[in-house]
Amino acid sequence: MATAATTAARPAGRRAEAFSLGPFLLVPASLLVVAFLAAPLVVLFRYSFNRYSPREFMIDAFTLENYARFFTDAYFIGVLATTVQVAAVCTLVSLLFAYPLAYLMARTESRWKSALVIAVVFPLMVGNVVRAAGWMAVLGNEGIVNHLMLSLGIVSQPVRLMYTPFAVYVGIIAVVLPYMILTLQSVIEGIGRDVEEAAANLGAGPMTTFRRVLLPLSLPGVIAGGTLVFILCMNAYATPVLLGGPQFKMMAPALYDQFTRTTNWPFGAALAFILMTSTLVLTIVGTTVLSRRMHHRKLEAAPR
Amino acid sequence: MSELILDRLRKEYGSFVAVDDVSLRVEEGELVALLGPSGCGKTTTLRMIAGFIEPTAGRITIGGRDVTWDPPYRRDTGMVFQSYALFPHMTVAQNVAFGLEMRKVPRAEAETRVRRALDLVRLGHLAARLPRQLSGGQQQRVALARALVVNPGVFLLDEPLSNLDAKLRLEVRVEIRELQKRLGLTTVFVTHDQEEALTLADRLVVMDHGVVQQVGTPEELYESPANLFVAGFIGRSNVLRGRLAERGRFISKGGLALAVPADGMAPGEAALALRPERIGVAPGASDGGVVGRVALVTYLGAATEYRVTLDGGETITASVPTPRPGDPLKLVSAGDAVTLTWPAESCRLLAPGPGATPDEGGL
Repeated sequence: MATAATTAARPAGRRAEAFSLGPFLLVPASLLVVAFLAAPLVVLFRYSFNRYSPREFMIDAFTLENYARFFTDAYFIGVLATTVQVAAVCTLVSLLFAYPLAYLMARTESRWKSALVIAVVFPLMVGNVVRAAGWMAVLGNEGIVNHLMLSLGIVSQPVRLMYTPFAVYVGIIAVVLPYMILTLQSVIEGIGRDVEEAAANLGAGPMTTFRRVLLPLSLPGVIAGGTLVFILCMNAYATPVLLGGPQFKMMAPALYDQFTRTTNWPFGAALAFILMTSTLVLTIVGTTVLSRRMHHRKLEAAPR
Repeated sequence: MSELILDRLRKEYGSFVAVDDVSLRVEEGELVALLGPSGCGKTTTLRMIAGFIEPTAGRITIGGRDVTWDPPYRRDTGMVFQSYALFPHMTVAQNVAFGLEMRKVPRAEAETRVRRALDLVRLGHLAARLPRQLSGGQQQRVALARALVVNPGVFLLDEPLSNLDAKLRLEVRVEIRELQKRLGLTTVFVTHDQEEALTLADRLVVMDHGVVQQVGTPEELYESPANLFVAGFIGRSNVLRGRLAERGRFISKGGLALAVPADGMAPGEAALALRPERIGVAPGASDGGVVGRVALVTYLGAATEYRVTLDGGETITASVPTPRPGDPLKLVSAGDAVTLTWPAESCRLLAPGPGATPDEGGL
């Protein structure tokens, strides 16, 4: 009896210890987040209601004119539209590119698997700016692609590839692809190969197995990877600036311009919050639509 | 249902031979168990039949059709996986309906068949559940229903009971056998559990190192094992090594001269296999038997085992019905002399070779 009582008491005591220590472990990270993220955001949010004056820089006020200016100016609406479009296309394309590779990496039993993972992670070690510079060398008028096309006689004059939307798309997709691959890979690894075999055994060909079994089961990975990549794309800065040129404007470079070039902090702050809110709203809408689909299928199944 | 034929089926991984020229004919409606220790090639063989592994050589025929190079989804097999492999995002009914859907069975008919299959495994009331809401035994039965509903030509079971607890295992075992008999399913069953194989199968295929050691009914394997491996793997055997001096007379390494059946083997080096339960034990040393000293008495409830050391140093284990109170055998304990007797025809002479039991002589 006595031993039973002590063994029963011990786990409870241990749990109590963990509980008392837990909150303290969160303190450093919480302080960091409050100091370097929450506080500046609050300040910035307040700025977005101030009034801009070229002479006095910023006048304390409480006005919505910065937001009103954004939504009445076709130029800025266009910048936001471009940003959303780039983010959506890049997310979709990287999903299509990443899935087969992620599947291969999740399923391979080759001893080269870790080499494959390193190859995918490696680009993350190269900064965006360095990478954009590399793309310049590839896509420029004197770059490798044009050189190749000229010498092969496919074109007679260099084709403009740099400072085009195409260059931005390529550049951003290359940046976000590893994130998508790694997210999908970990989710696909969690799906047993045996369920795919079961589907095949029951008569499902590879495409049907993908559509009916693999894709629905990997949807959480698609949602997670899509969210991560979409947010990264929405906030892309270096790639659109360096590969898109001055004509191609996305939100992050636009708001940076407001802060540095025109020193219009209130409008810049408003742009920042519009970017943040639209990213947030689109992400939430996207994930709910997808996960409701997942959920729907289950509900549909229930009455049968 | 159809007949399944494996013709010199072979699988090599580099220089490692996983399955070494396995030939087997499974008749219509027959249940054949592939039995052997882990790594013996039984699962590889089953997966080649299902089409998940391409053979290096050989042929697989189902119902007269050569399917050796067909992808799994064009073979007429229904497989129950060791892990059940249910689709976690589909309900029980959707899981079972999947194979019918792939075969483009009309919806109304499919619904009837799904209901019938679920009733067959007594899960009709759980059709709308998701697999994770079911117990292990219930998931197992869903897997059975899912494989059976399509009327597969060959029914394949990969250690289907290994994830169940002991009591459930017995229940499901009986259930599988009943279903298989009732539906007349041509079945291949993989297991490493000899008891499971003996009770379930019409015929057993004992494998080791990718090679078929023996094929036969449970009784054939038990009564006439083809070699030391089978003698030790199916049930247990005492193994005495020595030589056959002449037909009918075996002399063990320890110097024991024994009468053995006079058939078969020519004189020379040999091993003798003897089932523990064929040996009688009498207290005290007497003529007309083999005398030894008890090394260990193990009480097993219905039976009691006596591990006896012979004068020549060899040990023999005898298993007898537990003596009742008053029986002089009841008083025998370690160190006492006993006399062992057995009919000569219980001895099985086998070619000398590596056996399955590392503890030679004493099981």
